[in-house]
Amino acid sequence: MKTGVLALQGSFYDHVQSLELIDLDYVLIKDTSDLSNVNSLILPGGESTSMIKIQENNDLFSGLKKLIESGIPTLGTCAGLILLAKDVIDGETSLGVLNTVVERNAYGRQNQSFEGLVNLLGNKEMYCFIRAPKILSYEDSVTPIATIDNEVVGVIENNIVGLSFHPELTNDKVYLDWLSNFLKDGVNVRSL
Amino acid sequence: MKIESTFKIKKGLAEMLKGGVIMDVVNAEQAVIAEKSGAVAVMALERIPADIRAEGGVARMSSVETIQEVIDSVSIPVMAKARIGHFVEAQMLESLGIDFIDESEVLTPADDKNHIYKHDIKTPFVNGATDIGEACRRIGEGAAMIRTKGEAGTGNVIEAVKHMRSMTDGINKIKTSDQNELMSLAKEIKAPFDVVKEIHELGKLPVVNFAAGGIATPADAALMMQLGCDGVFVGSGIFKSGDPKERAEAIVIATTNYNDPEKLIEVSKNLGEPMVGINIDDLDEAEKLAKRGW
Repeated sequence: MKTGVLALQGSFYDHVQSLELIDLDYVLIKDTSDLSNVNSLILPGGESTSMIKIQENNDLFSGLKKLIESGIPTLGTCAGLILLAKDVIDGETSLGVLNTVVERNAYGRQNQSFEGLVNLLGNKEMYCFIRAPKILSYEDSVTPIATIDNEVVGVIENNIVGLSFHPELTNDKVYLDWLSNFLKDGVNVRSL
Repeated sequence: MKIESTFKIKKGLAEMLKGGVIMDVVNAEQAVIAEKSGAVAVMALERIPADIRAEGGVARMSSVETIQEVIDSVSIPVMAKARIGHFVEAQMLESLGIDFIDESEVLTPADDKNHIYKHDIKTPFVNGATDIGEACRRIGEGAAMIRTKGEAGTGNVIEAVKHMRSMTDGINKIKTSDQNELMSLAKEIKAPFDVVKEIHELGKLPVVNFAAGGIATPADAALMMQLGCDGVFVGSGIFKSGDPKERAEAIVIATTNYNDPEKLIEVSKNLGEPMVGINIDDLDEAEKLAKRGW
């Protein structure tokens, strides 16, 4: 049992660190051939335009999309959320598996990036928002799981979780416990 | 509750750039090519290093119009260079909404002793370093990202390799020292004690470390990644080559797949002419940009 971490570019080693803290095996995904034996997925932060370009030559995303649609637990943070979203304002739709509309860099440029107190599944913690995407709207099949000042910054739909922020740069206990449960068995987490 | 521009947020943007390529551009047209080729960020500057080298004169921050034009033309982070010690150029870049400031030896220094005190500026800074002591001094001043200086505008990777190896040696030395030795070591390498102590505890630099200065081919980028860099800056290497778009894309793919020789071969085909390189020995000491900074 392995968690695949998309490793085209971005903060993928920070996610690897989270996985090491909860004793889960992982494999870095750079190519379609890395997708076998993966039964959960993490799409990290970084630059979505860059990731989309890098995977073009071996069409990694069509394999990735099939894998996500097969129902394996999938977490996307920041750029990862942009890759998952069905509609992207000021950017390109790529995987399009999460029924949300997100806007790239909607909180502003780097000078407006911030640490904010997020309510994630009932627990409050300071998390980093770095040139973060905003969740503008979502369909009925999508449930909010994270908010900041009543604004939704994290959602779940079936096996897919998308977060605007970077829990992997904080690695607090509540997040790591949740991550461990989610990646091992997405179903139990959904009932939260 | 929201707090802007903490050091964690400054460092965080650099974390997001890891594994990527940051490209030097002098106008909006080049910035668009860079973004379409998969760059994670662009660096706006007045002239690319090879031209600064050839033309001489004082090299300064880009014009406000150029920076504005680059910001408006792309959706990826935009960096821009300020002269060493020129805190007013930095304040202006901060107000322009630049995402990262490079206090760069490629521009003519504005202060012969001091670098900018970077903690007071909201925008994160990247600084060049040739060894661990220099990296620690810059981090002490508030740099949120380090890059090797290499020798910009030469298309020759030897200095970047030298600086990266020297950095790795320095980190290993700090990592393996007894904690009783840290103060003496800090004194020896002229580094702030707190930063040395942090490196000792982490076993690595507390900020991201990129390669820069002389990277001209996909193989150069992969070499720097295998030497342990977190990502690469490419300056003159792209827009001084025969086919900038092809070369830019190839360097991006090579930076992701730095451990895969077959992929490196594939992207290195049909790239056109690389930039013409300069032997470091052919440069006068005064022409070496890496000597700038203190």
